Amino acid sequence: MNDKSTWEFGTRQVVYGAIGAALYGVFSWATNIFPLPAAGNVTFRPAVAVLIFFAAAYGPWVGLLAGFIGNTLGDALSGWGFYWHWSLGNGLMGLVAGLVSASIKDFRAQGDIVKAVGWGIAGVAVGMLFASLTEMFMGGIDLNTALFGYFTPAFLGNAVVTVILVPVLMIAFAAVASRRGR
Amino acid sequence: MLVTWKYRLRDTFIQRLDPRTRLIFLFSIIFALTIPEIWDLRIILPIFAISLTLYLMARIEWKDVKRGWAFILVFLIFIVGINGVLSGRGGPSSVTNIESPILFYVPILTSFGWDVPITVSKLWFAISQILRMLTMAILAIPIPYTMDPNIYGTAFKRMGASDNVSFTMDLAFRFLPTFARDFTITVDAQRARGYEMESLKGGLFERIRRLSPLIIPVVMQSTVTGEEVIDAMDLRAFGTNKRTWIKTLTYAPRDYFMLGLGAAIFITCCVLKWGLGIGGFFVPDFFTALLVGS
Repeated sequence: MNDKSTWEFGTRQVVYGAIGAALYGVFSWATNIFPLPAAGNVTFRPAVAVLIFFAAAYGPWVGLLAGFIGNTLGDALSGWGFYWHWSLGNGLMGLVAGLVSASIKDFRAQGDIVKAVGWGIAGVAVGMLFASLTEMFMGGIDLNTALFGYFTPAFLGNAVVTVILVPVLMIAFAAVASRRGR
Repeated sequence: MLVTWKYRLRDTFIQRLDPRTRLIFLFSIIFALTIPEIWDLRIILPIFAISLTLYLMARIEWKDVKRGWAFILVFLIFIVGINGVLSGRGGPSSVTNIESPILFYVPILTSFGWDVPITVSKLWFAISQILRMLTMAILAIPIPYTMDPNIYGTAFKRMGASDNVSFTMDLAFRFLPTFARDFTITVDAQRARGYEMESLKGGLFERIRRLSPLIIPVVMQSTVTGEEVIDAMDLRAFGTNKRTWIKTLTYAPRDYFMLGLGAAIFITCCVLKWGLGIGGFFVPDFFTALLVGS
């Protein structure tokens, strides 16, 4: 199901990078249009779970491209513009989450699910930290605002979604992959 | 709900520009303001005027863009503006270091003796910060409305991205309407089975978990589609040679003008700041006089 080297970048990565990006764009747009109710300024984006799942399943290149392009697509669909640093932050989120892909052998196994979720949360932390800190140079906000106004809500919301939805996606994927035979 | 691109063909100067020109110009402005750390409104305002002119030249209808504007203005005023007025931090240290008349205090934790002084300097900083961000944002906002989605891949390829990366981008834009349609069909199908999207009940975890019936079918179907696309591409020997691209991009004189303008703005900002020491934060006398009298 998962024989691959971490940094391979061939047809499979191109296609799944594009699919991941398109899905991330669609789900981001759906959440932008119909935001999920949450506490404070924390927002939940189920799209993030899809990104983490694609990264864990197909590797860091897929994560990077799906995150970068997907966030650009979501913003484009919502009409918000093009913010390269947030797109790159989302890309980094996928890239870090994808570093675990080569070690995932069974998408149903509890250990592999925990690994994927753990790396996913690490990816969320790195990606959102990058985007929040870049906002200091772009927007001239101070470190406190970057950490508590941007990073913390984005990290919490995305981490919660990752913990809840990534295991569900992995188990569903295991069934599909075993039926497909590859 | 219908997923549609915001892009419409309009016969405008902006849309006649090469997409590479627009992206490079956007980055020129971002770098011109951020790398030499320009906080002087005498420099920011002319650049803002250029950005605003380009935005107006895009002739985007207000009804299309009002949602995006609402988001950006709320963000700028309530997060950036209020933070700037209260803390004065985030920009150069001179905002809080220089002697500046106190206009009033904001009582935040009065019982602990912590009232935040609002100074003329902080107020001017907040205005500078909002305008500085707006200058960059109004160049970014029109992109989805005025740049053909089919051209992104070609544009990135011509800007030096690899075939694989550019093709991923191109493919993503093509996949998107299909997956958006799949998502809409899935939502309709689940609603027909009694799924209530508008009133997800339960606690936080439960509400998120209940999104699974909408997400899983679309994602799993897409992985199956992916295998078919990989087979089709492998059969056509994708990746064995350099690709050719159907769409070609060529710079016109107007593109060279805009690229030159972007470069000139960037170089001018660098020279002003590093060569002449102009461009840092300062509060003009007229503003202080306006607020506290001379």
